[in-house]
This record gives sequence, C-alpha cells and structure tokens, in this order.
Amino acid sequence: MLRYVAQRLLLLIPVLFGVSLFVFLVLHLFTADPAAMMLGQHATAEQVEALRKQLGLNDPIYMQFWRFLTDMLQGDFGRSLMTRAPVMEEILNRLPATIELALASIIIASAVGITVGVISAVKQYSIFDYLSMIGALAGVSMPIFWLGLMLIILFSVTLGWLPVSGRTDIGLDPATITNFYIIDSLLTRDWDALVAALRHLALPAIALASYSTAIIARMTRSTMLEVIRQDYIRTARAKGLGERIVVYRHALRNALIPVVTVIGLQMGQLLGGAVLTETVFSWPGIGSLLINAIMAGDYPLVQGSVIIIATTYVVVNLVVDVLYSYLDPRIHYS
Amino acid sequence: MLSRSKFTLFTVALLIMALALAGCGGKADNKQAAEKVFVFAQGSDPRGLDPAFVDDGESANPIVNIYDTLVRYKSGSTEIEPALATEWTPSPDGKEWTFKLRQNVKFHDGTPFNADAVVYSVSRQLPPQRTDDMPYASFTFGPVQKVEKVDDYTVKFILSDPYAPFLANLAMALAAPIVSPAAVEKYGKDFIDNPVGTGPFKFAEWKKGQQIELVANKEYWGGAPKLDKLVYKFVKENSVRASELRTGAVQAMNGVDPNDVKMLEDAGVKVIKNPGMNINYLAFFSNKKPFDNPKLREAVSHAINRQNLVEFLYQGLAELPNGVLPSFMPGYDKTLAPYDYNPEKAKQLLAEAGYPNGLKTTLLTYSTVRPYNPVGGDKLAAAIQADLRKVGIEAEIKTYPWKEYKEIYTPEIVKEGDMMLYGWIGDNGDPDNFLSLLETKEIKSTLNTGKYSNKKVDELLVKGRTAQAMEERNAAYSELQKIVEKDAPWVFLSHSKDMAAYNSNVEGMDLHPTGVIFFRDVDIKK
Repeated sequence: MLRYVAQRLLLLIPVLFGVSLFVFLVLHLFTADPAAMMLGQHATAEQVEALRKQLGLNDPIYMQFWRFLTDMLQGDFGRSLMTRAPVMEEILNRLPATIELALASIIIASAVGITVGVISAVKQYSIFDYLSMIGALAGVSMPIFWLGLMLIILFSVTLGWLPVSGRTDIGLDPATITNFYIIDSLLTRDWDALVAALRHLALPAIALASYSTAIIARMTRSTMLEVIRQDYIRTARAKGLGERIVVYRHALRNALIPVVTVIGLQMGQLLGGAVLTETVFSWPGIGSLLINAIMAGDYPLVQGSVIIIATTYVVVNLVVDVLYSYLDPRIHYS
Repeated sequence: MLSRSKFTLFTVALLIMALALAGCGGKADNKQAAEKVFVFAQGSDPRGLDPAFVDDGESANPIVNIYDTLVRYKSGSTEIEPALATEWTPSPDGKEWTFKLRQNVKFHDGTPFNADAVVYSVSRQLPPQRTDDMPYASFTFGPVQKVEKVDDYTVKFILSDPYAPFLANLAMALAAPIVSPAAVEKYGKDFIDNPVGTGPFKFAEWKKGQQIELVANKEYWGGAPKLDKLVYKFVKENSVRASELRTGAVQAMNGVDPNDVKMLEDAGVKVIKNPGMNINYLAFFSNKKPFDNPKLREAVSHAINRQNLVEFLYQGLAELPNGVLPSFMPGYDKTLAPYDYNPEKAKQLLAEAGYPNGLKTTLLTYSTVRPYNPVGGDKLAAAIQADLRKVGIEAEIKTYPWKEYKEIYTPEIVKEGDMMLYGWIGDNGDPDNFLSLLETKEIKSTLNTGKYSNKKVDELLVKGRTAQAMEERNAAYSELQKIVEKDAPWVFLSHSKDMAAYNSNVEGMDLHPTGVIFFRDVDIKK
C-alpha cells in the first residue's frame, strides 16, 4: 500500500511539470506584455524596457522557465503584479474559502444525490424516478453561471430569504482563526457569525452542487439497479429480511464503491466549477482570485493559482484511490 | 453506512438548519441600525491604497475618501478649489508655485499635517527616489524639479518650465494625495495595505476579495462626515451587483450594465448618467494623401451621422461632443458648432475635392471594447462605414487587437490606412490634457494619432500652458478650439457617460466627472 502511494506521488512530478510548462508557455507566448500592463498609459518605451529587464522578461524563454520552476520547487511563486504581495500568501488567504465551499457542495451533492439515486432505483419507473432523472438531466445540463443568477433572483431578490453575495454580513466582524468561517464561528461560539456564514454559503453551495448532485444520483441509481439484481440480494430477500435492511445494508453498501469514485472525481470538478460559482457569488476564494488575475494580466498569480488547483485535483484523486481499499477489501494496491 | 435512523436524523437536521437559516436574517441589521453604514459595491479589489503605486479606478475610489489633496475639484466639474492648501500663487515667470497650507489638520495616525508632510509625499515620487512601478509619478509631477519647505505651513514647488495644468495635477486621485510620512516610514512596503491620510474617512480593515472598511474621521477639517462607516464591497458581476442593490444590502454601486438601467429604475433605484472625462474620435491621417486635403476631412465630417451614433449605437448612454473637450471642463467653448450631418453637402465637397465619382479609403479600428466606446471598435467602424457609403465613400475596415493596434501608428507616416478610430481618457481635468493631443510635438510620442500639425494651434497650446490667469488661458483655448472645429483633424464622435446607481434613501450622492465618488457629504435617510 505504501509503495503504491509512493508510486502515485512520484507520478505527481511529471504531471505537475507538464501543467507548469503548459501554463507557463500559454501565459508567456499568448498574453500581453506584463511590463506594459503594469506601467499603464503614460509609460515610455524606455520605462517598459527597464521593467522588462528588471522582471527578467528579456531572457530566453527556457531560462525564464527554469527560474520559475526552481523558485516554485521552493514554494516561491513570485509576487503578484497587482498587489505586490507574494503569490503564495494571496493563494493561502483565499484557499480556505474555496475548500469551505467545495466541502459544503460535496456534502449537499452526496446527501441529495445518493438519496435520490437509491429511491429512484428501488422505485424504478415510478413518478419519482422519472421526475428525479429529468431533474438530474437538468442538473447536468444547466450552466452553473446561469443557475447561480437564477438562484439569486429567486431567493435573494424576490423572496429575500438569503443574501446575494459574499461570505458574511457586513458589520459582523467574525474572528478569523483558520479562515474557515464555519469552524471559526464554532470555535468562538459566535452564533450570529455561524448563521451569517451558513446563510451566505447556502446559494453558492447549491449552485456548485447542482452538477455533481445529478451525476451522483445517476451513478447511484444505475449501480443500485445492478446490485439489486444480484443473487445475494435475492438470497437476502429469500431469507425473509426486511426490504429496508436489504436495500440499505446489503445493496447500498456494495453499490457505493463506484459512487465514491464519482464523488472523488466530483471533488476535483468542484474546484474547477468554483471558478464560475465564485465569480457569480463574489466568493473570495481561489477561483475568483484566478479570474481577477487573468483579467489584470497578473501572470505570476495565474501560474500560482492554476498549479495549486491542479495539484489539489491530483492529490484528491490519489486520496480517493486509497480510500477504495478501505471500502472494498477486494481491491489491493501493490 | 448510515443506518436508517441516523439517516432520518441527518435529513431532519438538514431541514431544521435550512428553516433556521431562512428565518433568522434580521439580526445583523439591528446591529447596523445604531450606526450609519454605507455599503458601496464595486467590481474588484483596489490594486492598493498607496496613491503613488496605483493607476486603477478601483483604487481611486477609496483613495479620494481616505486622503486629501492640496487642491481639489469642484463638484460636477474639473475646476479647482482649495483643500489642504488654502491659497496659492505662481511666480511671475510661472516656474515657482507657493502654497499656503491649512493649519490644525491631523493625519489619521495623529501626526500633524504640515510642510514636511507635503515635501515627503511629493519627494518620494520625484527622482532620484521615484521608482519604475509608480505609474503616475512622472505624469503628475512631470514638470516638478523640487519641492521645498518655506516655513511650517508654506511649501514651494519649483518647475522646469511654466506649466499651468500643474495645478490640476495636484487634484488628481493618483500620485497627488498627501500621505502621512510617519505611517509610510512605519509600514514601509506594507503602506499600500495600511493607508493613512487626512481625509474624511479612516482606513479600518481590508478583507482581500471581500471588502474594505473605512470609519468616519470625526475630526475632519471639513466637518465630520455624516456616515459612520463606509464599506467598499467587491462584487465582480454587474448584474449581481445590481441584485445586491435591489435587496438593499448595498446602498450604491458603480459599473452599471446598460441592460440593467431600466430594470433598476423600475425598481425605484436612482441611476446617475454623467458625461465622463473622455472622447471617442475618428482621426484622419492629415499628414498624407488623401486626408491632407481639408475639404475631404470636412466632407467625411458632414457624412457621419453622429446624432444617430449617440442615440442608437450607444443607446443614449453617450453625449454628442462639440469639440475635443467635454462640456464640464474649464476652457470648454460653448459657442462651438462642429460640421453637422449633411450628406448632400458631403457629396458636393467630395466632388470639389476632386472625387466626383466617390473615394476608396481605409478605416483602422480595434477589436475590443474601450471605456469611451462601450460597443467596441468593430461595431463603431461598421456604423461609420454605412454612413460613408451613402455619400459614395467606400471605406475598407481593418481591425486589430488592442495590443497590436497601439503599435500600428508609428510616429512616421502610417503605411496602411487613411483614418483610425481612437479615444482618450482624461487624467487631470485640465483642458491641456485633451487639447495637447493635437500638438505637433506629440506626433513623436504617438499621442497625436492623426499627425495633425498646425503652427497656430501649437502656439496657442504653449500660451494656454504658460499663462497664469484662467481667463487668459480660456481665451487661448477658445481660439484653438475654433481652429480645430474648422480644420477637422478629428470627427468628434461621442463622450461616453459614466454610470452609478443608488437607493432612494441616499442623499448627496454624485458621480464626479473623474469617475470617483466623494463620500464626505453623502448621507442615508432613515
């Protein structure tokens, strides 16, 4: 097992190298001159040239890449061109918000998706089954961006139930210990802050969860249907076990293994989807940071954010693979 | 896996939580009711709050409320009035400006505002201390060689040349605001996140990606502001910002999407549409054939239906210019009347200029949206092309990405193209900032895009720059504008309007022509 994990971790190196190279090349070959962007409309050609020199932009591209790579290995992504703060600091500031949102979404997606999937499978071809699978189709097809705006119009503007955007109420000053607002407010027993944090989390988490919920529901339904037709289910029923025990203890548990894979993959998807959701809901996470950085041509910040997102994606997938062997003793890594 | 009872419990818990969340929204509002908190939504975080190191509107907005400048703009125009300086006198040769400073003013950190603070604020942006990453230092303090303390409340600026627009530079939101020397020394590089000025609001906190919180400076020399707190909230999407405004979670916003104007107004929101400090224009390359012929320039000027552009292309969110200057700027000549839309006259002039059978020409444009042209360069070019076709001018459109576009017009003769679309966003509100775009010496810097050159215009620009009294300057600028009106180096297409929206319980709110909102007099009605 350890060997397997070590192997997978080694594989991270070429993957991240590839990602770094790709991001670096795209940013350096296809975007506007960062020196000119930093200096604005009054810059003279000499000033731009001086800054290019200072930033090392005149060196051959492979040298720039080498410098970028070696700095990165030491955890140094350079400084943001916009704010002049270290890129790593900017990212670490924003990461908790993204993780909080992604976790909330995965909880919603798993709870709703599995429940709906199981009921649909057990009551196959019922009205519930049809409706939920139509709903799942809609969930897969609906752009998050649009869904987010619709949720805002319905729940915030029309009904006035939930706030439109942001992470907490203005005027509340929640203590920030971990920067996970929910954990922080629990730690400090600040119930107002907890309610505010949950209320702000609700709409973005639902919007972000929509796609994953649908995928999980469909996956659960199809694996459940498969499992329910297995011999051991028939045996269990033949033994006279109650239907609920058959469904939940015998069928669901076995059906869940592929579902866990999907949930794991969705976790990665959520980080990607967070870019759109965070933009709509002004959620101060790494996704909105990335969008701002792209708009401003802040290439060190774009590089840093993309690499962090890619790394997280790869690591989450690894964790999911490892989890299998616990869920299903038949799976062995060697 | 979850047992049945656990699962039920979980579902019930979720339901209760959802109900609780929907139910208890009012708590935070009660807290706010005690003090007047104004929330203003803008698109993104400022780059920073040190006026020396930023060049973006998102930074300018909080900066003008945290800091003061020596002189400031009057509301609704770019005329100058006293602020931290109470009076000023230029020397007879116009090279030395002496400012008397306001007394008993304190920075937010308690240190006194005096001549030392002015010298410090300015000197750090002059060579040799000036660094490459100060985007506005060389513009704002361009002609300044030195700034000296005369006594505790008097400073003297020494310029290399007499330069009247210098006064307007000192009112700018960028580079010009006076910072607390003690705070800059204390925070060093981090001053950009910990601003200290003398303005009506003190900096409290910046939550990156979320909001900046300012609190009232009760000891403000101009009287305590009416609000207790001013919060800049960052909401990226225009339409989401509009939703925030409609729910009352924010009191005002900028960057209104033109498509949202009607919806907002129907919901009882007030939308400000003010002409901005910009000009959207078509420039003729007047240093080469065919548009070195003034008759031909006149013909094209008559052929373009500017009224239609403003009304239909820009949906009324632009103003029809009478010349280079927007009407709120000092030096604007009210008597101007540029060539009107008259296709018959255009045809006739075209024939007189030697093109009775029409003219084939090339119009250069850019592919992006610009602040002075919110529909984008290609749509504008297409509209103009259609107008020109009606009088027998066949204009081929060549479109470039913005970055390449800026490299097309070299100081030498432009090889391809006869006309180009371009624009200008004003910096300091001084007429010279716009009119000098037509100066011969700016051909080299490429600011004079059309390479227009007229000795008389050059002379008048120098006169306007060196004269002391505003009346004298205005006389020179009037004469200049009349020459330009007749010469038609440009077709003045539009001044794009700036927009901001606010809820009906807000008082004293205005969007300044420079694009910022001053909150010193803004109030919320109960």
